[in-house]
Amino acid sequence: MTEVFQFGLVPITCHAWNKDRSRVALSLNNNEVNIYERAGSEWRLQETLQGHDLRVTGIDWAPNTNRIVTCGADRNAYVWTCGVDGKWSPTLVLLRINRAATCVKWSPNENKFAVGSGARLISVCYFEQENNWWVSKHIKKPIRSTITTLDWHPNNILLAAGAADFKVRIFSAWIKDIEPKPTPTPWGAKMPLGQMMTEFSNSTGGGGWVHSVSFSGDGNRVCWVGHDSSLTVADAGKEMAKTQLKTEYLPFTAVTWVSLNSLVAVGHGCCPML
Amino acid sequence: MSATLRPYLSAVRHTLSAAMCLQNFNSQVVERHNKPEVEVRWSKELLMTAVVVSRNEKEKVLIEPSINSIRISISIKQADDIERILCHKFMRFMMMRAENFIILRRKPVEGYDISFLITNFHTEQMFKHKLVDFVIHFMEEIDKEISEMKLAVNARARECAMEYLKRF
Repeated sequence: MTEVFQFGLVPITCHAWNKDRSRVALSLNNNEVNIYERAGSEWRLQETLQGHDLRVTGIDWAPNTNRIVTCGADRNAYVWTCGVDGKWSPTLVLLRINRAATCVKWSPNENKFAVGSGARLISVCYFEQENNWWVSKHIKKPIRSTITTLDWHPNNILLAAGAADFKVRIFSAWIKDIEPKPTPTPWGAKMPLGQMMTEFSNSTGGGGWVHSVSFSGDGNRVCWVGHDSSLTVADAGKEMAKTQLKTEYLPFTAVTWVSLNSLVAVGHGCCPML
Repeated sequence: MSATLRPYLSAVRHTLSAAMCLQNFNSQVVERHNKPEVEVRWSKELLMTAVVVSRNEKEKVLIEPSINSIRISISIKQADDIERILCHKFMRFMMMRAENFIILRRKPVEGYDISFLITNFHTEQMFKHKLVDFVIHFMEEIDKEISEMKLAVNARARECAMEYLKRF
């Protein structure tokens, strides 16, 4: 059952749903985030979060802890928490990046989140209890271009990142201070922070910027879509085997797993594909 | 000659529809900047390979895509001196008023007569297929306009000459 609702005449840059899908946070191509609440068959504007100076590039809503993290082109990220009066208040995150942030994602256990940026690095941020702020650790090597997309593995440790240098890399984002040592996975056993587990090239000659990357529900497979109109799936269980599907449609910009064996991809062709 | 026109325009239309898949992209070289990557050309991985679609040696279109912008340069058929002058003046007239055209570039790329620069901000405000329609329509109309202007110039020259020579 699909419904169409129009929020205005401007493009929606990014959006995120809360846990029971009763609220949606979205950004209309400017530096504010609007939270809409469902009222009957309509969506009512509940609150506007103002904090960023430049365009908001990524929003993610943690379902269980009810926190929203937003990142913007002004090199900042804020974590918004809902107070008892229903108002959202921001906490600045020290990302320590010197270029725009492009995407942000909460980890499955919601104790940390990762921010991709144009500074060619990923900031993995966690809350430091003693100083009461969010600090970050960087993953730098061997990324050579802007990170365009991120996705977490269900085990809360591994992170897949797609970049404008046509590669998809799986990193370990294990933060020693806040979580126990991870168990080995099909992607690799040794996992210090920033360790690159595997790197996939979109194709032999280059292949197009990676627009979206997604781990499957069990974490053994990862799929991505690139600007060369291709969709690729890599399987860790089968020794990193890669299957690629080149389509004749316009490039896809987002992909996600709907079950263990099927994906939905959407993109410039304005039509979702299963 | 018009047998090659349809396939030429159809090839240009398909290339443009594929190349106009633009997204907003902040500069990764200068902080807080958002520039058309096809113009600054600082990062090689953000530029796509340029494509030239040519109908013959004189008429061609250069399409240079990138992650957030696309540059289209057109070379127009100019058979003799009069057409060369008319084309040059007509293009100059339009390029001086480039703000009203929104997607027109004030200077053509080297070797071509006129250039368009379309960025992700334009595709966010206007329909992509309409932008492609506009460029194709422009290419079709330019040749007709220049031929009409050439006929008008010749007709006026003939009139002036007749009036002048009546005195003798």
